[in-house]
Amino acid sequence: MTEMIQAAGLTKFYGRRRGLDGLDLEVRQGEVYGFLGPNGAGKTTTIRILLDLIRPSGGQVTLLGEVPRAGGPALRRRIGYLPGDFAVGGGQTAGELLAHYAHLRGGVATGRIRSLADGLDLDLEVRIGSLSKGNRQKIAVVQAFMHEPELLILDEPTTGLDPIIQQRFLELVAEARIAGQTVFMSSHVLSEVQQSADRVGIVRDGRMVAVESVDVLRARAVRRVEVRFDAPVTVEGEVLRCRLTGRADALVKALARYDVASLTVREPDLEELFLTYYREETDHAA
Amino acid sequence: MRRSVFGKMLWDQRRSLLGWAIGITAVGTFYAAFYPMVNTPEMRQALESYPQGMLEALGMTDATSVAGYLGSTTFGLLGPTLIIVFAAAIGGSAIAGDEEQGRLDLVLAHPISRWNVLAQRFAAIGAAMLGVCLILAATLIAISGPFGLGEVSPVNFVATSVQLAVFGLLFGGLAIAAGAASGRRSVAFALVAIVGVIGFFGNNLGPSIEGLEWLQRLSPFYYYSGGEPLRNGFQAIDTGVLLIVALVLVGLGGLRFDRRDVAV
Repeated sequence: MTEMIQAAGLTKFYGRRRGLDGLDLEVRQGEVYGFLGPNGAGKTTTIRILLDLIRPSGGQVTLLGEVPRAGGPALRRRIGYLPGDFAVGGGQTAGELLAHYAHLRGGVATGRIRSLADGLDLDLEVRIGSLSKGNRQKIAVVQAFMHEPELLILDEPTTGLDPIIQQRFLELVAEARIAGQTVFMSSHVLSEVQQSADRVGIVRDGRMVAVESVDVLRARAVRRVEVRFDAPVTVEGEVLRCRLTGRADALVKALARYDVASLTVREPDLEELFLTYYREETDHAA
Repeated sequence: MRRSVFGKMLWDQRRSLLGWAIGITAVGTFYAAFYPMVNTPEMRQALESYPQGMLEALGMTDATSVAGYLGSTTFGLLGPTLIIVFAAAIGGSAIAGDEEQGRLDLVLAHPISRWNVLAQRFAAIGAAMLGVCLILAATLIAISGPFGLGEVSPVNFVATSVQLAVFGLLFGGLAIAAGAASGRRSVAFALVAIVGVIGFFGNNLGPSIEGLEWLQRLSPFYYYSGGEPLRNGFQAIDTGVLLIVALVLVGLGGLRFDRRDVAV
């Protein structure tokens, strides 16, 4: 079995409001899958269906080959979940809360909580109520990773984390991937997914708009090129700015005839790709 | 212990539970401390001059014996009222309160069924009720000598407190069930208030209104105090009725809770 998550034509209505509108999703074993979309696109709705917190209005969904509802506690034992909004009581310490969660999961390897907390620079003895939002988010990260689940479902995991801890988080994701765990992570910040994901699915208005490997997305992407010449050339002035897709060979050979002072190629970020996909969608609709 | 859903709920609420125990015990003790002042010929005469119907409505037909006095004060109106408010608060917060604060998601995402969470939290309510009521009983037993309450035996104090605890558990069960079914604390509070008020008047006024006598048999108050545990000790059937109704309510709430969407 290679499909860790599979959804087909998944719909969800909240009363008359549409949360999901026929979403298709396939996450393979061992991959890091970035689930991208703006707020309100249906990312959290999808994730909460996967965890059986809400039930779909239509369509099929399975995790590790099982329907969330039927799989019940046994299925959830194999999953780590990081909620989009990590709300817990403030009166307890992080250590107390994590011990409770570890108990619910039937135990966690000794020292695992401590080593994760140390790695993220989280103090386990402090009352949660006195922690900053970023420090609370660290607790959310620890509880999702601590039992080394087969499948990690992370809803906007880096919210509130500072850049150093974000980097540490991405290392955790990379470690999980090496250990053979599958990571499904949603985001509206594309840069974090760009670094760690194998594949990216872009969701919009409750539907999957595109699924690509990060490498393919990059190759397809439009690069912005700026060439500065020593002397003015026929392109008005001494600077050439252009956009490039695919192979760079033709451009380089054309430039070889001139004295090139500098050449900068800006790597596309997924932000731009994202907008490209949106524009295509809008054009089709129009 | 503290790590299970049951133990964690009690541990997390330890300060609030202590507050309720102190409050309910203080009120109970306060009334008991006034007993020597009520147990006088003048007071007896004064009470006799009130209309019988009014005394019945207030549950004060025998206000000068220890059992009659405590049964109409500590265990008559204020005790049950405080226990009902306590039950609404703890029962409403157990599922619906957690959900309204967005805290239920992560618990239910763990390998534990919704039924299991509901059952453990209901059991925690039961433990809290019993704990608070037994503290009340222990305090009353301790002061019964100095305040002349010896007419009621320690066993009967415990029996009455157990009745009060199970009575509280019925309302706690109603509150957690309504909250679990609806996801809203306000629904739990409203239902507890309605059942409490109708139950109180049904028990006290029902028998004196023609055609409404049956209302008393539906009232939780009847199964709480109808057997007069201050005089007669443990009331197994009444305890059983209250327990079973509480369990049925939680079961009904659980059926809905297990099927519905959890709010963010």
